[in-house]
Amino acid sequence: MTAKLRVAGWYRAALFLLLAIGFAYLLVGVGRVAMHYDDPWSDGYAITTVGLIAAPLGFLIGLGCFDYWFYWASGRPTRPEDHSSHGAHSWKDYFRVNTDHKVIGIQYICSSFFFLFVGGLLAMLMRAELAQPGMQFVDTATFNGLFSVHAALLIFLFVIPVFAGIANYVLPLMIGAPDMAFPRLNALSFWMLPCAGLLLSASFFAPGGAFASGWTAYAPLSTDMPLGQVFFTIGVQFAGASSIATALNFLVTIITMRAPGMSFFRMPLLVWANFSTSLLVVIATPFIAASQFFVLLDRALGFNFFDAFVGAGKDGSVLMYQHVFWFYSHPAVYIMMLPGFGIVSEIISVKSRKPIFGYRMMAFSLLAIVVLGFTVWAHHMFVSGMQSWIRIPMMITTAIIAVPTGIKIFSWLATLWRGVLHLDTPMLFALGFLTTFTLGGISGVMLAMIPFDIYVSDTYFIVAHIHYVLFGGSLFTIFAGIYYWYPKMTGRMYDERLGKIHFWCTFVFFNVTFAPMHLLGLDGMPRRVADYAAQYEPLNLMISIASFFLGLSMLIFLYNMVASWRGGPKAAANPWRALTLEWQVSSPPPIFNFDAVPTVVGGPYEYGVPGAVHGIFQSPAEAKPTHAGSVATSPTRE
Amino acid sequence: MEAASASTSLHHPGEADHHGPPEAHRSSRVDPQLLGMLLFIISEIMVFGAFFTAYFFIRVVDGNPWPAAGTELPKAIAGVNAGILLSSSITLHWALESIRRGNRAAFKAGMLSTFLLGSTFLFIQINEYVHIGFAPYNSAQASIFYGLTGLHGAHVAIGLMILLIVTVRAFRGHYSPEAHRGVEIPGIYWHFVDLMWIVVYSTVYLL
Amino acid sequence: MRRHPVAQMVVVGAIASAIGIAIGLSIDWFPASAAKQAAPIDTLYDVLMIVSVPIFVLVTTVILFAAWRFRMRPGQEQQDGPPIHGNTRLEVVWTAVPAIMLVSLCSYAYAVLHDIEKKHSDQLVVNVTGQQFAWSFRYAQPGGRTLMTTDLVLPKDRPVLFKVHAEDVIHDFWVPAFRVKIDAVPGITTEVRATPDRLGTYPVVCAELCGLGHSVMRTRARVVTPAAYISWLRDQNTAAAGGGAAAGGGAAGGGAAGGDPVALGRSTFTSNCGSCHTLADAGTTGTVGPNLGTSLRGQSADEIREDILDPDKTITPGFQPGVMPSGFGDTLSAQQIDGLVAYLTSVSR
Ligand code: HEA
Ligand code: HEA
Ligand code: HEC
Ligand code: CUA
Ligand SMILES: [Cu+2]
Repeated sequence: MTAKLRVAGWYRAALFLLLAIGFAYLLVGVGRVAMHYDDPWSDGYAITTVGLIAAPLGFLIGLGCFDYWFYWASGRPTRPEDHSSHGAHSWKDYFRVNTDHKVIGIQYICSSFFFLFVGGLLAMLMRAELAQPGMQFVDTATFNGLFSVHAALLIFLFVIPVFAGIANYVLPLMIGAPDMAFPRLNALSFWMLPCAGLLLSASFFAPGGAFASGWTAYAPLSTDMPLGQVFFTIGVQFAGASSIATALNFLVTIITMRAPGMSFFRMPLLVWANFSTSLLVVIATPFIAASQFFVLLDRALGFNFFDAFVGAGKDGSVLMYQHVFWFYSHPAVYIMMLPGFGIVSEIISVKSRKPIFGYRMMAFSLLAIVVLGFTVWAHHMFVSGMQSWIRIPMMITTAIIAVPTGIKIFSWLATLWRGVLHLDTPMLFALGFLTTFTLGGISGVMLAMIPFDIYVSDTYFIVAHIHYVLFGGSLFTIFAGIYYWYPKMTGRMYDERLGKIHFWCTFVFFNVTFAPMHLLGLDGMPRRVADYAAQYEPLNLMISIASFFLGLSMLIFLYNMVASWRGGPKAAANPWRALTLEWQVSSPPPIFNFDAVPTVVGGPYEYGVPGAVHGIFQSPAEAKPTHAGSVATSPTRE
Repeated sequence: MEAASASTSLHHPGEADHHGPPEAHRSSRVDPQLLGMLLFIISEIMVFGAFFTAYFFIRVVDGNPWPAAGTELPKAIAGVNAGILLSSSITLHWALESIRRGNRAAFKAGMLSTFLLGSTFLFIQINEYVHIGFAPYNSAQASIFYGLTGLHGAHVAIGLMILLIVTVRAFRGHYSPEAHRGVEIPGIYWHFVDLMWIVVYSTVYLL
Repeated sequence: MRRHPVAQMVVVGAIASAIGIAIGLSIDWFPASAAKQAAPIDTLYDVLMIVSVPIFVLVTTVILFAAWRFRMRPGQEQQDGPPIHGNTRLEVVWTAVPAIMLVSLCSYAYAVLHDIEKKHSDQLVVNVTGQQFAWSFRYAQPGGRTLMTTDLVLPKDRPVLFKVHAEDVIHDFWVPAFRVKIDAVPGITTEVRATPDRLGTYPVVCAELCGLGHSVMRTRARVVTPAAYISWLRDQNTAAAGGGAAAGGGAAGGGAAGGDPVALGRSTFTSNCGSCHTLADAGTTGTVGPNLGTSLRGQSADEIREDILDPDKTITPGFQPGVMPSGFGDTLSAQQIDGLVAYLTSVSR
């Protein structure tokens, strides 16, 4: 037992978790004794706050995320690298600190889909309450908690990390790298996520209920909410640290570890997309960290960043929170979309057997979005009471962002044109994405028009926009990507029929659920309300019913994934006849990706060009990229 | 902060060969650890950027008096302190040059003096808090003052921790003219912390 | 029929767009409009529809056509499409055209914005205050007194400038029928303009999440004829005078020298509590809190006082804590509280 407690692992993690909590308790107690507070040892509020910071760190240390660096720091000889922590030989390896980017990718994807289902379930409760006017199932406190946690989970623990997960798995393979640049940092980035997710979800058990100030957590509401708010404030810090570390890792990997011959303009667009996304993350994410620091300081140490009633009555700055928050959270919406653009570019090119149309413009428009993305944050603040002149430049930049996005949409359309379209599940989701995202984007452009936004801001029109871009945009591309790389990741083929059913159910019920929200918004139904005027009942009922079916169609996906992984037919190395490097190795790839780093000799999308080759391998067997590779040789995970 | 300890501490001789065959192809002349550190510093700068945004709103946009009525900022002491911190940058550079030239004695001396100078800075800063005569909750100006200087102080503390490690290893005879990245890259971080103080000092105290 | 696909698409696209625009314009999705600001905004929306629908139709028709014409037929499994890498002319077009469209849309939107925010000389100024979870409105009166109410009364065709304040957290003052909204931000005063042009009663909504009671933070805006407005002002002022300047609402009120407490209580009630409580005697119809006409039966003065000063101490069945403001002890003067208690005890038996 004690031996178990000494080696890195779950037992030690549990032990350190407890130690950390005890430490927090002592820290607070001693501090309050020093400050001569009365009852220093029984202030649940302070103890929880410090505990929430200490506990995850304790857990991570116990699990062994830092061992190697501690060895190094203490100047002791580090264990010689035996790759024991690399690769998965049994399912157990997915539940420990693992440095293999493929294992980490799977860990990311599975954990974030878990949070999709949790967050979605919360949405189901929300829809149940909203099915009729009046209060039926939950009180307003709970309802506000529901949509706040719903959004926080789906944004910070589903969309952002799942993209990081897919890229984690595919990107190093695509650029011919054996792993990420900093594998241990990579492992740490992953393990921070479950901590963050647990914090956000656990807030429901906090006295006073979950944090209920929306995922935007505007101050001063968030500074005088019950304890649950702290779970958000601190949970987001871990999620943010995680995504910064991953982004940094991606950038270094892409810049320094590309295979010989892979110039920037020979990189697949998925790599370009994650390059741009990582730039956004590294530059923008610190801002949300700071915004939550401010809230925490106001709450825990009585700072006055947002208390506007001190002294003269104009001390704290309430609008400052919104500027800082949106300076991250607008770029964040592109953090949640650009990787999807990358996925769709891969799929559309492969599935219509044509080179991507206007490759360079595709790459440049990504960079254009990155740059513009930092110049539009105040379009979330048109009615916030900020200096009114700021609205005008923000309206223009916001509208202009539609141009690079449009370039991408039209180029995808041109790629389809005269191709040989394989309309299987990934392609269907890609096409579905094109339509729904265009709609969501256009409603976004309408929102950019100040006078119209003044009317629909904070109504269900916004909720509709949110879901058309996040569900119809991000989530559709995520589904497409999961189906597309499923054979590569699992070595198994998914069930095509179920896949198609899943697509059609999702597509139909998605639109029936969220399209009517535009009308509710136009008709004046505000968002974030547990109860609404009777005139909105019919549409809301319809929305709720549709949303339940939408939820159920998710179960088809779940079943398909699980069943196919356990019993699906073995997948060929290159079932889609794709050119990019990840398809030139076995499915799933060998533990170290390549026996020898391939050499890139051409563009990634040269479909239809006779005898075109993207990368060549030393071993002649795999030299012909277009021929369907041999059945997986390396151990398939079951 | 995880990101901090991570990317700052990944640097030790032979880091490149920790993952299995095949050897990754180097598609850029930039050294990975160096690049990682630079990117990390960019995001650090953005953290400070956010705090400066708060400062800008509270002081400029809302036009609050600076410093808050009836409070006084110890320009002089902080100025001296700035000098101390800057000199620590110089000694650190000296230490690095020495190990490059293989002069162990000077290397150790340099590291040690850097660490001591850094600690002095932190000590004086804390002492300043004790005697400054206003608390974070007195006014928004006080909040952002403590916010900015505190954020910087936290960075100094982290920097000191890393420097301590390097110093200890220096005295244990680690590093060599060939392999001294473990000094170089924490060094970059320390120089960044010092430069940041110049910005904080001139905006918060002088302006 | 073997027409060129592009030609076919143009036809289909045109028809689809026409239908889409027709639906978008013919059905009026908006609630009844009651201010001069509404018309330009609704027109802007129509223009946006006319621009957006064709774009969306364009994208979808291309996709459907591609899926129909170019889908893989049996035997094409190993085939590839033509290696087209791009077409500079096309790319220039689909960069330039949207850019031009968007810039012109922005200019138009700017014009509308300028129009709806125009300043007026003869404007009426109303001070709006948001507090968890109720609105209150203050009208400056001759003699430096202010008149405070919980539902908004406005004369028709008179430009109004709303100066919006917040007591605690951010709220958002929104009258859907006027189409305009603005946040109520603690520490600063925000402004929004509207010119009511239609008689009637319209909901006033809080549009910014402000806590437990956000969804119930509602009241009414009544647009009346100028004459009716004048007489309404007169009635309010006399009532207030009867209640000894309780009209001062907040701390200002309560100089109830000799004024009979019940009258003071009544006016205080209508101007502070009516937005949430129905009380036949006071003629208030709020539905957020219990109907005090019925629920107070048999309650002692002390119980009622406690209910007001510390609402969450005892929660009325069927309602939830934290909704009724707990700050009345500070915002109302001692006389006003006594007045309220006296008044409520008098009506509850
Ligand atoms: C994936 C996430 C995502 C994406 C990609 C976008 C994309 C865009 N968003 Fe959205 N947005 C959100 C997520 C996203 N948004 C969220 C979550 C909120 C709510 C936050 C909250 O308050 O909770 C929000 C809120 C929001 C607002 C604030 C509304 C309010 O609160 O009052 C605005 C206002 O301008 C806006 C605008 C835009 C615009 C102009 C785009 C553009 O990037 C869209 C560009 C794309 C297209 C336009 C379609 C394709 C282009 C063509 C086919 C070319 C031709 C088109 C034209 C000429 C029009 N969004
Ligand atoms: C990626 C982001 C994402 C995703 C995928 C979703 C998915 C869904 N969202 Fe969410 N939503 C947001 C992001 C997202 N949302 C954001 C950012 C907000 C703003 C919050 C704020 O105002 O602060 C919001 C707000 C929001 C609101 C407005 C709340 C309010 O303002 O009052 C509503 C209301 O209907 C809603 C509904 C839904 C529904 C029905 C789904 C469905 O698509 C969910 C479908 C998935 C599942 C159902 C889970 C899987 C299925 C099972 C677990 C099986 C069990 C199913 C049954 C029992 C039927 N969302
Ligand atoms: C924002 C809405 C709101 C406002 C404004 C408000 N109340 Fe209430 N009130 C409530 C709610 C909700 C309850 C029921 C929950 C509770 O008992 O606290 C309540 C309960 C009460 C009760 C107890 C009723 C009973 O059955 O015991 C009294 C008395 C009362 N309010 C008086 C007042 C007075 C007097 C004012 C104004 C000075 C006022 N309220 C303003 C929402 C409001
Ligand atoms: Cu006040 Cu919402
Ligand atoms: Cu935005």
